[in-house]
Amino acid sequence: MRFSSAKYLFSEGFKNVWKNWMMSAASIGVLVLCLLLTGASALLSINITNTLNAIESQNIVKVYLKNELDSQKADQVGKSLRAIENIVSCEFYSKEQAVEKFKDTLGKAFESMKENNPLPDSYKVTLEDIAKYEETVEKIKEIEGVDTVVNRSELFEKLTKFDRFVSLAGLIIVFILALVSLFIISNTIRLTMYNRRFEISIMKSVGATDWFVRVPFMVEGVIIGIISAIISSIVLKFFYDFIIQVIKKNISFFNTPFSDVSVPLFLSFLLAGVLFGLIGGLISISKYLKKEGGEILGW
Amino acid sequence: MIRFNNVSKVYPNGTTALKNINIHVKKSEFVFIVGASGSGKSTFLKLIMHEEEPSCGEIFIDGMNITNISKKEVPYLRRKMGIVFQDFRLIDKMNVFDNVAFAMRVTGASERDVKKRVPYILALVGLQDKADRRPAELSGGEQQRVSLARALVNNPALIIADEPTGNIDPEMSYDIVELLSEINKRGTTVVMVTHEHNLVKKFKKRVVEISAGDVTSDKKITEVIKNEI
Ligand SMILES: Nc1ncnc2c1ncn2[C@@H]1O[C@H](COP(=O)(O)OP(=O)(O)OP(=O)(O)O)[C@@H](O)[C@H]1O
Ligand SMILES: [Mg+2]
Repeated sequence: MRFSSAKYLFSEGFKNVWKNWMMSAASIGVLVLCLLLTGASALLSINITNTLNAIESQNIVKVYLKNELDSQKADQVGKSLRAIENIVSCEFYSKEQAVEKFKDTLGKAFESMKENNPLPDSYKVTLEDIAKYEETVEKIKEIEGVDTVVNRSELFEKLTKFDRFVSLAGLIIVFILALVSLFIISNTIRLTMYNRRFEISIMKSVGATDWFVRVPFMVEGVIIGIISAIISSIVLKFFYDFIIQVIKKNISFFNTPFSDVSVPLFLSFLLAGVLFGLIGGLISISKYLKKEGGEILGW
Repeated sequence: MIRFNNVSKVYPNGTTALKNINIHVKKSEFVFIVGASGSGKSTFLKLIMHEEEPSCGEIFIDGMNITNISKKEVPYLRRKMGIVFQDFRLIDKMNVFDNVAFAMRVTGASERDVKKRVPYILALVGLQDKADRRPAELSGGEQQRVSLARALVNNPALIIADEPTGNIDPEMSYDIVELLSEINKRGTTVVMVTHEHNLVKKFKKRVVEISAGDVTSDKKITEVIKNEI
Protein backbone atom coordinates (compact mmCIF):
# COMPACT_ATOMS: atom_id res chain seq x y z
CA MET A 1 0.00 0.00 0.00
CA ARG A 2 1.35 3.38 -0.93
CA PHE A 3 1.70 6.13 1.60
CA SER A 4 -0.98 8.30 0.00
CA SER A 5 -3.63 5.64 0.19
CA ALA A 6 -2.53 4.76 3.72
CA LYS A 7 -3.09 8.38 4.72
CA TYR A 8 -6.47 8.39 3.06
CA LEU A 9 -7.53 5.14 4.72
CA PHE A 10 -6.42 6.28 8.17
CA SER A 11 -8.29 9.54 8.00
CA GLU A 12 -11.36 7.58 6.94
CA GLY A 13 -10.96 5.42 10.04
CA PHE A 14 -10.84 8.50 12.29
CA LYS A 15 -13.94 9.92 10.67
CA ASN A 16 -15.77 6.66 11.30
CA VAL A 17 -15.20 6.96 15.04
CA TRP A 18 -16.55 10.54 15.23
CA LYS A 19 -19.46 9.98 12.87
CA ASN A 20 -20.69 7.13 14.99
CA TRP A 21 -19.70 8.54 18.35
CA MET A 22 -22.51 7.07 20.44
CA MET A 23 -21.70 3.50 19.53
CA SER A 24 -17.99 4.28 19.71
CA ALA A 25 -18.48 5.58 23.25
CA ALA A 26 -20.36 2.43 24.22
CA SER A 27 -17.57 0.27 22.82
CA ILE A 28 -14.95 2.30 24.62
CA GLY A 29 -16.96 2.12 27.86
CA VAL A 30 -17.21 -1.65 27.87
CA LEU A 31 -13.63 -2.13 26.78
CA VAL A 32 -12.47 0.24 29.55
CA LEU A 33 -14.45 -1.75 32.11
CA CYS A 34 -12.88 -4.93 30.84
CA LEU A 35 -9.35 -3.53 30.96
CA LEU A 36 -9.93 -1.97 34.40
CA LEU A 37 -11.05 -5.22 35.97
CA THR A 38 -8.16 -7.07 34.40
CA GLY A 39 -5.77 -4.42 35.62
CA ALA A 40 -7.25 -4.30 39.12
CA SER A 41 -7.06 -8.03 39.64
CA ALA A 42 -3.55 -8.09 38.22
CA LEU A 43 -2.48 -5.36 40.65
CA LEU A 44 -4.11 -7.12 43.58
CA SER A 45 -2.37 -10.31 42.61
CA ILE A 46 0.97 -8.57 42.29
CA ASN A 47 0.58 -7.13 45.77
CA ILE A 48 -0.38 -10.45 47.28
CA THR A 49 2.60 -12.11 45.65
CA ASN A 50 4.92 -9.42 46.92
CA THR A 51 3.51 -9.77 50.40
CA LEU A 52 3.95 -13.50 50.22
CA ASN A 53 7.54 -13.06 49.19
CA ALA A 54 8.08 -10.63 52.02
CA ILE A 55 6.63 -13.09 54.51
CA GLU A 56 8.65 -15.89 53.07
CA SER A 57 11.90 -14.05 53.40
CA GLN A 58 11.18 -13.05 56.98
CA ASN A 59 13.59 -14.70 59.37
CA ILE A 60 12.05 -13.37 62.57
CA VAL A 61 9.83 -15.50 64.75
CA LYS A 62 7.83 -14.34 67.74
CA VAL A 63 7.83 -16.75 70.64
CA TYR A 64 5.18 -16.15 73.32
CA LEU A 65 5.72 -17.53 76.79
CA LYS A 66 3.18 -19.04 79.12
CA ASN A 67 1.59 -16.46 81.38
CA GLU A 68 2.46 -17.99 84.73
CA LEU A 69 6.24 -18.04 84.17
CA ASP A 70 8.39 -15.99 86.50
CA SER A 71 11.40 -14.06 85.25
CA GLN A 72 13.84 -16.78 86.19
CA LYS A 73 12.04 -19.37 84.14
CA ALA A 74 11.74 -16.87 81.32
CA ASP A 75 15.52 -16.53 81.35
CA GLN A 76 15.73 -20.29 81.20
CA VAL A 77 13.67 -20.29 78.00
CA GLY A 78 16.01 -17.66 76.58
CA LYS A 79 19.01 -19.88 77.24
CA SER A 80 17.31 -22.86 75.62
CA LEU A 81 16.48 -20.73 72.62
CA ARG A 82 20.08 -19.61 72.22
CA ALA A 83 21.13 -23.22 72.36
CA ILE A 84 19.27 -24.04 69.16
CA GLU A 85 21.84 -23.84 66.41
CA ASN A 86 19.75 -22.08 63.75
CA ILE A 87 19.00 -19.17 66.08
CA VAL A 88 21.30 -16.19 65.69
CA SER A 89 19.93 -13.87 68.31
CA CYS A 90 17.04 -13.60 70.67
CA GLU A 91 15.66 -10.55 72.35
CA PHE A 92 13.40 -10.48 75.37
CA TYR A 93 10.21 -8.41 75.52
CA SER A 94 8.56 -8.29 78.90
CA LYS A 95 4.79 -8.06 79.20
CA GLU A 96 5.24 -4.45 80.40
CA GLN A 97 7.12 -3.55 77.28
CA ALA A 98 4.43 -5.25 75.23
CA VAL A 99 1.70 -3.22 76.85
CA GLU A 100 3.68 -0.03 76.34
CA LYS A 101 3.93 -0.73 72.62
CA PHE A 102 0.28 -1.68 72.43
CA LYS A 103 -0.64 1.60 74.04
CA ASP A 104 1.57 3.56 71.66
CA THR A 105 -0.13 2.21 68.61
CA LEU A 106 -3.67 2.04 69.85
CA GLY A 107 -3.93 4.96 72.25
CA LYS A 108 -4.34 6.00 75.83
CA ALA A 109 -7.58 4.10 76.22
CA PHE A 110 -5.51 1.06 76.94
CA GLU A 111 -3.81 2.69 79.95
CA SER A 112 -5.86 0.55 82.30
CA MET A 113 -4.36 -2.58 80.82
CA LYS A 114 -1.21 -1.91 82.77
CA GLU A 115 -2.82 -3.02 85.98
CA ASN A 116 -4.36 -6.16 84.66
CA ASN A 117 -1.93 -7.01 81.88
CA PRO A 118 -3.22 -9.83 79.66
CA LEU A 119 -0.20 -9.80 77.37
CA PRO A 120 2.46 -12.50 77.73
CA ASP A 121 6.23 -12.14 77.83
CA SER A 122 7.85 -12.90 74.55
CA TYR A 123 11.08 -13.39 72.68
CA LYS A 124 11.90 -12.00 69.27
CA VAL A 125 14.02 -14.67 67.67
CA THR A 126 16.13 -14.23 64.55
CA LEU A 127 16.85 -17.30 62.45
CA GLU A 128 19.96 -17.89 60.44
CA ASP A 129 18.66 -20.12 57.65
CA ILE A 130 15.06 -19.63 56.53
CA ALA A 131 15.10 -22.96 54.78
CA LYS A 132 15.15 -24.62 58.19
CA TYR A 133 12.18 -22.53 59.35
CA GLU A 134 9.69 -25.32 60.03
CA GLU A 135 12.29 -27.48 61.71
CA THR A 136 13.42 -24.70 64.01
CA VAL A 137 9.84 -23.77 64.93
CA GLU A 138 9.25 -27.37 65.97
CA LYS A 139 12.31 -27.25 68.22
CA ILE A 140 11.17 -23.99 69.82
CA LYS A 141 7.74 -25.46 70.55
CA GLU A 142 9.35 -28.30 72.46
CA ILE A 143 10.98 -25.93 74.97
CA GLU A 144 9.20 -25.90 78.27
CA GLY A 145 7.40 -22.67 79.06
CA VAL A 146 6.76 -21.73 75.41
CA ASP A 147 3.10 -21.09 74.77
CA THR A 148 2.79 -20.27 71.05
CA VAL A 149 5.02 -19.49 68.14
CA VAL A 150 3.49 -17.09 65.63
CA ASN A 151 3.41 -19.19 62.54
CA ARG A 152 3.81 -17.65 59.12
CA SER A 153 2.36 -20.59 57.27
CA GLU A 154 -1.25 -19.89 58.25
CA LEU A 155 -1.17 -16.36 56.91
CA PHE A 156 0.74 -17.67 53.98
CA GLU A 157 -1.93 -20.20 53.17
CA LYS A 158 -4.77 -17.73 53.53
CA LEU A 159 -3.11 -15.25 51.24
CA THR A 160 -2.31 -17.89 48.66
CA LYS A 161 -5.92 -19.02 48.67
CA PHE A 162 -7.11 -15.43 48.33
CA ASP A 163 -4.70 -14.87 45.48
CA ARG A 164 -6.03 -17.90 43.67
CA PHE A 165 -9.59 -16.75 44.22
CA VAL A 166 -8.84 -13.26 42.93
CA SER A 167 -7.10 -14.63 39.86
CA LEU A 168 -9.88 -17.07 39.06
CA ALA A 169 -12.77 -14.67 39.68
CA GLY A 170 -10.91 -12.00 37.73
CA LEU A 171 -10.31 -14.38 34.87
CA ILE A 172 -13.97 -15.38 34.63
CA ILE A 173 -15.28 -11.83 34.80
CA VAL A 174 -12.72 -10.63 32.31
CA PHE A 175 -13.54 -13.47 29.95
CA ILE A 176 -17.23 -12.59 29.99
CA LEU A 177 -16.53 -8.90 29.59
CA ALA A 178 -14.13 -9.64 26.77
CA LEU A 179 -16.88 -11.41 24.87
CA VAL A 180 -19.28 -8.56 25.55
CA SER A 181 -16.82 -5.96 24.36
CA LEU A 182 -15.96 -7.92 21.24
CA PHE A 183 -19.67 -8.12 20.54
CA ILE A 184 -20.21 -4.41 21.03
CA ILE A 185 -17.14 -3.36 19.07
CA SER A 186 -18.04 -5.56 16.14
CA ASN A 187 -21.57 -4.19 16.17
CA THR A 188 -20.32 -0.63 16.31
CA ILE A 189 -18.19 -1.20 13.27
CA ARG A 190 -21.01 -3.06 11.59
CA LEU A 191 -23.21 -0.03 12.06
CA THR A 192 -20.60 2.25 10.52
CA MET A 193 -20.32 -0.15 7.67
CA TYR A 194 -24.06 -0.17 7.23
CA ASN A 195 -24.09 3.63 7.21
CA ARG A 196 -21.47 3.58 4.51
CA ARG A 197 -22.81 0.64 2.54
CA PHE A 198 -23.41 2.82 -0.50
CA GLU A 199 -19.82 3.99 -0.55
CA ILE A 200 -18.54 0.46 -0.03
CA SER A 201 -20.69 -0.68 -2.93
CA ILE A 202 -19.22 2.03 -5.17
CA MET A 203 -15.74 1.06 -4.04
CA LYS A 204 -16.40 -2.52 -5.05
CA SER A 205 -17.80 -1.48 -8.41
CA VAL A 206 -14.68 0.50 -9.30
CA GLY A 207 -12.38 -2.36 -8.36
CA ALA A 208 -11.46 -1.93 -4.70
CA THR A 209 -10.02 -5.03 -3.07
CA ASP A 210 -11.57 -6.30 0.15
CA TRP A 211 -8.46 -5.10 1.96
CA PHE A 212 -8.93 -1.57 0.76
CA VAL A 213 -12.51 -1.64 2.02
CA ARG A 214 -11.42 -3.16 5.31
CA VAL A 215 -8.64 -0.87 6.41
CA PRO A 216 -10.71 2.16 7.52
CA PHE A 217 -12.88 -0.08 9.67
CA MET A 218 -9.88 -1.79 11.18
CA VAL A 219 -8.43 1.63 11.91
CA GLU A 220 -11.74 2.47 13.59
CA GLY A 221 -11.37 -0.60 15.80
CA VAL A 222 -7.77 0.21 16.64
CA ILE A 223 -8.66 3.79 17.58
CA ILE A 224 -11.38 2.51 19.90
CA GLY A 225 -8.79 0.16 21.43
CA ILE A 226 -6.16 2.87 21.93
CA ILE A 227 -8.59 5.34 23.48
CA SER A 228 -9.83 2.62 25.84
CA ALA A 229 -6.27 1.73 26.87
CA ILE A 230 -5.44 5.35 27.67
CA ILE A 231 -8.62 5.92 29.69
CA SER A 232 -8.19 2.64 31.59
CA SER A 233 -4.60 3.40 32.53
CA ILE A 234 -5.47 6.85 33.87
CA VAL A 235 -8.51 5.66 35.81
CA LEU A 236 -6.64 2.71 37.26
CA LYS A 237 -3.78 4.91 38.41
CA PHE A 238 -6.07 7.25 40.34
CA PHE A 239 -8.13 4.40 41.71
CA TYR A 240 -5.04 2.53 42.86
CA ASP A 241 -3.39 5.55 44.44
CA PHE A 242 -6.60 6.26 46.30
CA ILE A 243 -6.83 2.69 47.61
CA ILE A 244 -3.21 2.75 48.72
CA GLN A 245 -3.77 5.97 50.58
CA VAL A 246 -6.72 4.56 52.45
CA ILE A 247 -5.24 1.17 53.23
CA LYS A 248 -1.61 1.90 53.83
CA LYS A 249 -2.44 3.80 57.02
CA ASN A 250 -3.55 0.52 58.56
CA ILE A 251 -1.61 -2.31 57.00
CA SER A 252 1.47 -2.47 54.89
CA PHE A 253 -0.22 -4.63 52.31
CA PHE A 254 -0.51 -2.53 49.14
CA ASN A 255 3.16 -1.88 48.98
CA THR A 256 3.81 -1.88 45.24
CA PRO A 257 3.81 1.71 43.97
CA PHE A 258 1.88 2.28 40.74
CA SER A 259 4.94 3.64 38.97
CA ASP A 260 6.56 0.19 39.30
CA VAL A 261 3.93 -1.38 37.09
CA SER A 262 2.65 1.56 35.05
CA VAL A 263 4.69 0.95 31.91
CA PRO A 264 4.06 -2.78 31.47
CA LEU A 265 0.46 -2.23 32.49
CA PHE A 266 -0.09 0.51 29.91
CA LEU A 267 1.63 -1.52 27.22
CA SER A 268 -0.51 -4.55 27.98
CA PHE A 269 -3.62 -2.39 27.93
CA LEU A 270 -2.57 -0.95 24.61
CA LEU A 271 -1.85 -4.35 23.15
CA ALA A 272 -5.12 -5.79 24.44
CA GLY A 273 -7.09 -2.75 23.27
CA VAL A 274 -5.61 -2.78 19.79
CA LEU A 275 -6.07 -6.52 19.51
CA PHE A 276 -9.70 -6.28 20.59
CA GLY A 277 -10.41 -3.44 18.21
CA LEU A 278 -8.81 -5.31 15.34
CA ILE A 279 -10.54 -8.59 16.04
CA GLY A 280 -13.89 -6.87 16.60
CA GLY A 281 -13.43 -5.02 13.35
CA LEU A 282 -12.37 -8.06 11.40
CA ILE A 283 -15.32 -10.11 12.64
CA SER A 284 -17.85 -7.58 11.41
CA ILE A 285 -16.06 -6.78 8.17
CA SER A 286 -15.72 -10.35 7.03
CA LYS A 287 -19.34 -11.01 7.94
CA TYR A 288 -20.44 -7.94 6.03
CA LEU A 289 -18.32 -8.48 2.94
CA LYS A 290 -19.39 -12.10 2.70
CA LYS A 291 -23.02 -11.10 2.59
CA GLU A 292 -24.56 -7.86 1.36
CA GLY A 293 -21.28 -5.96 1.28
CA GLY A 294 -19.92 -8.07 -1.56
CA GLU A 295 -22.61 -6.86 -3.94
CA ILE A 296 -23.27 -3.71 -5.87
CA LEU A 297 -26.32 -2.43 -4.04
CA GLY A 298 -29.58 -1.71 -5.79
CA TRP A 299 -28.53 -2.72 -9.28
CA MET B 1 -12.99 -7.68 -26.09
CA ILE B 2 -16.11 -9.49 -24.85
CA ARG B 3 -17.08 -12.99 -25.79
CA PHE B 4 -20.08 -14.91 -24.45
CA ASN B 5 -20.18 -18.58 -25.46
CA ASN B 6 -23.54 -20.28 -24.78
CA VAL B 7 -24.00 -18.35 -21.57
CA SER B 8 -27.08 -18.88 -19.41
CA LYS B 9 -27.93 -17.25 -16.13
CA VAL B 10 -30.45 -18.66 -13.71
CA TYR B 11 -30.79 -16.72 -10.44
CA PRO B 12 -30.96 -18.67 -7.18
CA ASN B 13 -34.71 -18.00 -6.99
CA GLY B 14 -35.19 -19.86 -10.27
CA THR B 15 -35.58 -16.88 -12.62
CA THR B 16 -33.89 -17.50 -15.94
CA ALA B 17 -32.45 -14.13 -16.94
CA LEU B 18 -30.35 -15.22 -19.94
CA LYS B 19 -30.70 -18.30 -22.12
CA ASN B 20 -27.80 -19.63 -24.12
CA ILE B 21 -26.40 -16.27 -25.20
CA ASN B 22 -23.67 -15.90 -27.83
CA ILE B 23 -22.29 -12.41 -28.21
CA HIS B 24 -18.96 -11.20 -29.46
CA VAL B 25 -17.94 -7.55 -29.07
CA LYS B 26 -14.68 -6.60 -30.76
CA LYS B 27 -12.12 -4.13 -29.49
CA SER B 28 -13.13 -0.49 -30.14
CA GLU B 29 -16.69 -1.42 -30.94
CA PHE B 30 -19.72 0.56 -29.75
CA VAL B 31 -22.74 -1.59 -28.93
CA PHE B 32 -26.21 -0.60 -27.80
CA ILE B 33 -28.10 -3.25 -25.84
CA VAL B 34 -31.86 -2.77 -26.08
CA GLY B 35 -34.84 -4.77 -24.88
CA ALA B 36 -37.91 -4.68 -22.69
CA SER B 37 -37.73 -4.32 -18.95
CA GLY B 38 -36.72 -7.57 -17.31
CA SER B 39 -35.31 -9.02 -20.51
CA GLY B 40 -31.86 -9.55 -19.02
CA LYS B 41 -29.84 -6.50 -20.13
CA SER B 42 -28.46 -5.66 -16.69
CA THR B 43 -27.73 -9.31 -16.09
CA PHE B 44 -25.59 -9.26 -19.23
CA LEU B 45 -23.54 -6.37 -17.78
CA LYS B 46 -23.34 -8.03 -14.36
CA LEU B 47 -21.82 -11.08 -15.99
CA ILE B 48 -19.25 -8.91 -17.78
CA MET B 49 -18.04 -7.41 -14.50
CA HIS B 50 -18.42 -10.70 -12.64
CA GLU B 51 -20.99 -9.30 -10.26
CA GLU B 52 -22.84 -12.51 -11.11
CA GLU B 53 -21.41 -15.83 -12.25
CA PRO B 54 -22.89 -17.56 -15.30
CA SER B 55 -24.88 -20.74 -14.63
CA CYS B 56 -23.33 -22.28 -17.71
CA GLY B 57 -21.28 -21.24 -20.70
CA GLU B 58 -18.04 -19.30 -20.88
CA ILE B 59 -17.18 -15.61 -20.72
CA PHE B 60 -13.97 -14.02 -22.02
CA ILE B 61 -12.97 -10.44 -21.33
CA ASP B 62 -9.96 -9.06 -23.12
CA GLY B 63 -8.84 -12.58 -23.93
CA MET B 64 -9.11 -13.78 -20.34
CA ASN B 65 -11.54 -16.48 -19.29
CA ILE B 66 -13.43 -14.95 -16.39
CA THR B 67 -16.05 -17.67 -16.08
CA ASN B 68 -14.69 -19.06 -12.84
CA ILE B 69 -12.28 -16.43 -11.56
CA SER B 70 -11.89 -16.23 -7.80
CA LYS B 71 -13.28 -13.46 -5.62
CA LYS B 72 -9.77 -12.06 -5.26
CA GLU B 73 -9.38 -11.51 -8.98
CA VAL B 74 -12.63 -9.60 -9.41
CA PRO B 75 -11.25 -6.18 -8.35
CA TYR B 76 -8.47 -6.46 -10.92
CA LEU B 77 -10.96 -7.42 -13.62
CA ARG B 78 -13.05 -4.35 -12.77
CA ARG B 79 -10.07 -2.03 -13.00
CA LYS B 80 -9.92 -2.89 -16.69
CA MET B 81 -13.39 -1.46 -17.19
CA GLY B 82 -15.31 1.68 -16.32
CA ILE B 83 -18.90 1.42 -15.18
CA VAL B 84 -21.64 4.01 -15.47
CA PHE B 85 -24.98 3.52 -13.73
CA GLN B 86 -28.37 5.06 -14.36
CA ASP B 87 -28.38 6.68 -10.90
CA PHE B 88 -24.83 8.16 -11.15
CA ARG B 89 -23.70 6.66 -7.82
CA LEU B 90 -21.60 9.61 -6.72
CA ILE B 91 -20.59 10.10 -3.10
CA ASP B 92 -22.49 13.15 -1.78
CA LYS B 93 -19.94 14.24 0.79
CA MET B 94 -17.08 14.33 -1.71
CA ASN B 95 -16.62 17.04 -4.28
CA VAL B 96 -16.39 16.33 -8.01
CA PHE B 97 -12.61 16.04 -7.96
CA ASP B 98 -12.60 13.51 -5.13
CA ASN B 99 -15.41 11.51 -6.64
CA VAL B 100 -13.30 11.00 -9.72
CA ALA B 101 -10.04 10.62 -7.79
CA PHE B 102 -11.72 7.96 -5.66
CA ALA B 103 -11.54 5.39 -8.45
CA MET B 104 -7.80 6.01 -8.77
CA ARG B 105 -7.14 5.94 -5.04
CA VAL B 106 -8.91 2.61 -4.79
CA THR B 107 -6.26 1.16 -7.07
CA GLY B 108 -3.46 2.59 -4.94
CA ALA B 109 -2.49 5.34 -7.39
CA SER B 110 -0.10 7.97 -6.08
CA GLU B 111 -1.44 11.42 -5.21
CA ARG B 112 0.85 12.89 -7.84
CA ASP B 113 -0.75 10.83 -10.57
CA VAL B 114 -4.19 11.70 -9.22
CA LYS B 115 -3.41 15.43 -9.42
CA LYS B 116 -2.26 15.07 -12.99
CA ARG B 117 -4.92 12.73 -14.27
CA VAL B 118 -8.17 13.95 -12.70
CA PRO B 119 -8.14 17.52 -14.12
CA TYR B 120 -7.38 16.09 -17.55
CA ILE B 121 -10.38 13.76 -17.40
CA LEU B 122 -12.65 16.48 -15.98
CA ALA B 123 -11.69 18.67 -18.93
CA LEU B 124 -12.50 15.80 -21.27
CA VAL B 125 -16.08 15.65 -19.97
CA GLY B 126 -16.31 19.45 -19.84
CA LEU B 127 -16.37 19.86 -16.07
CA GLN B 128 -12.98 21.46 -15.47
CA ASP B 129 -14.65 24.46 -13.78
CA LYS B 130 -16.73 22.40 -11.38
CA ALA B 131 -14.10 20.31 -9.64
CA ASP B 132 -14.92 21.82 -6.24
CA ARG B 133 -18.68 21.37 -6.45
CA ARG B 134 -20.63 18.77 -4.57
CA PRO B 135 -22.71 16.34 -6.66
CA ALA B 136 -25.88 17.89 -5.19
CA GLU B 137 -24.91 21.22 -6.76
CA LEU B 138 -24.88 19.79 -10.28
CA SER B 139 -27.57 19.02 -12.84
CA GLY B 140 -28.37 15.41 -13.67
CA GLY B 141 -26.44 15.60 -16.91
CA GLU B 142 -23.42 17.04 -15.12
CA GLN B 143 -23.60 14.39 -12.45
CA GLN B 144 -23.63 11.71 -15.10
CA ARG B 145 -20.58 13.29 -16.68
CA VAL B 146 -18.78 13.11 -13.32
CA SER B 147 -19.70 9.48 -13.15
CA LEU B 148 -18.40 9.02 -16.68
CA ALA B 149 -15.18 10.77 -15.70
CA ARG B 150 -14.83 8.36 -12.80
CA ALA B 151 -15.31 5.44 -15.19
CA LEU B 152 -12.66 6.83 -17.54
CA VAL B 153 -10.04 7.92 -15.05
CA ASN B 154 -8.20 4.60 -14.90
CA ASN B 155 -8.02 4.54 -18.69
CA PRO B 156 -10.06 1.36 -19.12
CA ALA B 157 -10.23 -0.64 -22.33
CA LEU B 158 -13.96 -1.08 -21.84
CA ILE B 159 -16.83 1.12 -20.69
CA ILE B 160 -20.10 -0.47 -19.69
CA ALA B 161 -23.10 1.75 -19.07
CA ASP B 162 -26.49 0.66 -17.78
CA GLU B 163 -29.09 3.16 -19.01
CA PRO B 164 -26.77 6.10 -18.41
CA THR B 165 -29.37 8.49 -19.84
CA GLY B 166 -32.31 7.06 -17.95
CA ASN B 167 -32.39 9.84 -15.38
CA ILE B 168 -31.59 12.87 -17.49
CA ASP B 169 -33.44 14.96 -20.07
CA PRO B 170 -33.13 14.19 -23.81
CA GLU B 171 -30.74 16.99 -24.71
CA MET B 172 -28.33 16.07 -21.96
CA SER B 173 -28.72 12.43 -22.92
CA TYR B 174 -27.57 13.22 -26.40
CA ASP B 175 -24.46 14.91 -24.98
CA ILE B 176 -23.64 11.90 -22.85
CA VAL B 177 -23.86 9.47 -25.76
CA GLU B 178 -21.92 11.91 -27.90
CA LEU B 179 -19.22 11.86 -25.25
CA LEU B 180 -19.24 8.05 -25.13
CA SER B 181 -19.00 8.00 -28.90
CA GLU B 182 -16.05 10.38 -28.72
CA ILE B 183 -14.29 8.14 -26.21
CA ASN B 184 -15.07 5.14 -28.38
CA LYS B 185 -13.34 6.82 -31.33
CA ARG B 186 -10.16 6.93 -29.25
CA GLY B 187 -10.25 3.15 -29.04
CA THR B 188 -12.29 2.35 -25.94
CA THR B 189 -14.91 -0.35 -26.33
CA VAL B 190 -18.37 0.81 -25.21
CA VAL B 191 -21.37 -1.32 -24.26
CA MET B 192 -24.42 0.76 -23.43
CA VAL B 193 -27.83 -0.45 -22.33
CA THR B 194 -30.65 1.88 -23.24
CA HIS B 195 -34.41 2.17 -23.60
CA GLU B 196 -34.33 5.22 -25.79
CA HIS B 197 -34.95 4.43 -29.43
CA ASN B 198 -34.32 8.02 -30.44
CA LEU B 199 -30.73 7.77 -29.29
CA VAL B 200 -30.24 4.44 -30.98
CA LYS B 201 -31.53 5.92 -34.22
CA LYS B 202 -29.33 8.98 -34.07
CA PHE B 203 -26.08 7.16 -33.46
CA LYS B 204 -25.44 4.64 -36.15
CA LYS B 205 -24.02 1.80 -34.08
CA ARG B 206 -24.43 -1.88 -33.61
CA VAL B 207 -27.63 -2.78 -31.73
CA VAL B 208 -28.17 -6.01 -29.84
CA GLU B 209 -31.73 -6.68 -28.83
CA ILE B 210 -32.45 -9.01 -25.93
CA SER B 211 -35.94 -10.24 -25.17
CA ALA B 212 -36.79 -12.65 -22.41
CA GLY B 213 -33.16 -13.67 -22.07
CA ASP B 214 -32.58 -14.31 -25.77
CA VAL B 215 -30.65 -12.32 -28.36
CA THR B 216 -33.41 -11.65 -30.88
CA SER B 217 -31.55 -9.30 -33.18
CA ASP B 218 -27.99 -8.10 -33.66
CA LYS B 219 -27.70 -5.52 -36.43
CA LYS B 220 -26.25 -2.25 -37.55
CA ILE B 221 -28.53 0.75 -37.00
CA THR B 222 -29.73 1.28 -40.60
CA GLU B 223 -31.54 -2.03 -40.56
CA VAL B 224 -33.31 -1.26 -37.30
CA ILE B 225 -34.77 1.86 -38.81
CA LYS B 226 -36.03 -0.07 -41.81
CA ASN B 227 -37.72 -2.57 -39.54
CA GLU B 228 -39.51 0.15 -37.65
CA ILE B 229 -40.80 1.76 -40.83
N1 LIG C 1 -30.60 -10.82 -8.09
C1 LIG C 1 -31.65 -11.35 -8.74
N2 LIG C 1 -32.28 -12.42 -8.21
C2 LIG C 1 -33.31 -12.97 -8.86
N3 LIG C 1 -33.79 -12.55 -10.01
C3 LIG C 1 -33.23 -11.48 -10.60
C4 LIG C 1 -32.12 -10.83 -9.98
N4 LIG C 1 -31.75 -9.81 -10.76
C5 LIG C 1 -32.58 -9.83 -11.82
N5 LIG C 1 -33.47 -10.83 -11.74
C6 LIG C 1 -34.50 -11.18 -12.72
O1 LIG C 1 -33.86 -11.49 -13.94
C7 LIG C 1 -34.54 -10.95 -15.05
C8 LIG C 1 -33.65 -10.03 -15.83
O2 LIG C 1 -33.32 -8.93 -15.02
P1 LIG C 1 -32.41 -7.72 -15.53
O3 LIG C 1 -32.18 -6.85 -14.38
O4 LIG C 1 -31.26 -8.28 -16.23
O5 LIG C 1 -33.39 -7.03 -16.56
P2 LIG C 1 -33.18 -5.69 -17.39
O6 LIG C 1 -33.26 -6.09 -18.80
O7 LIG C 1 -31.98 -4.99 -16.95
O8 LIG C 1 -34.48 -4.87 -16.98
P3 LIG C 1 -34.63 -3.27 -16.82
O9 LIG C 1 -34.73 -2.72 -18.20
O10 LIG C 1 -35.91 -3.14 -16.08
O11 LIG C 1 -33.47 -2.78 -16.08
C9 LIG C 1 -35.76 -10.27 -14.45
O12 LIG C 1 -36.86 -11.15 -14.56
C10 LIG C 1 -35.42 -10.03 -13.03
O13 LIG C 1 -36.56 -10.06 -12.22
MG1 LIG D 1 -31.54 -3.17 -15.98
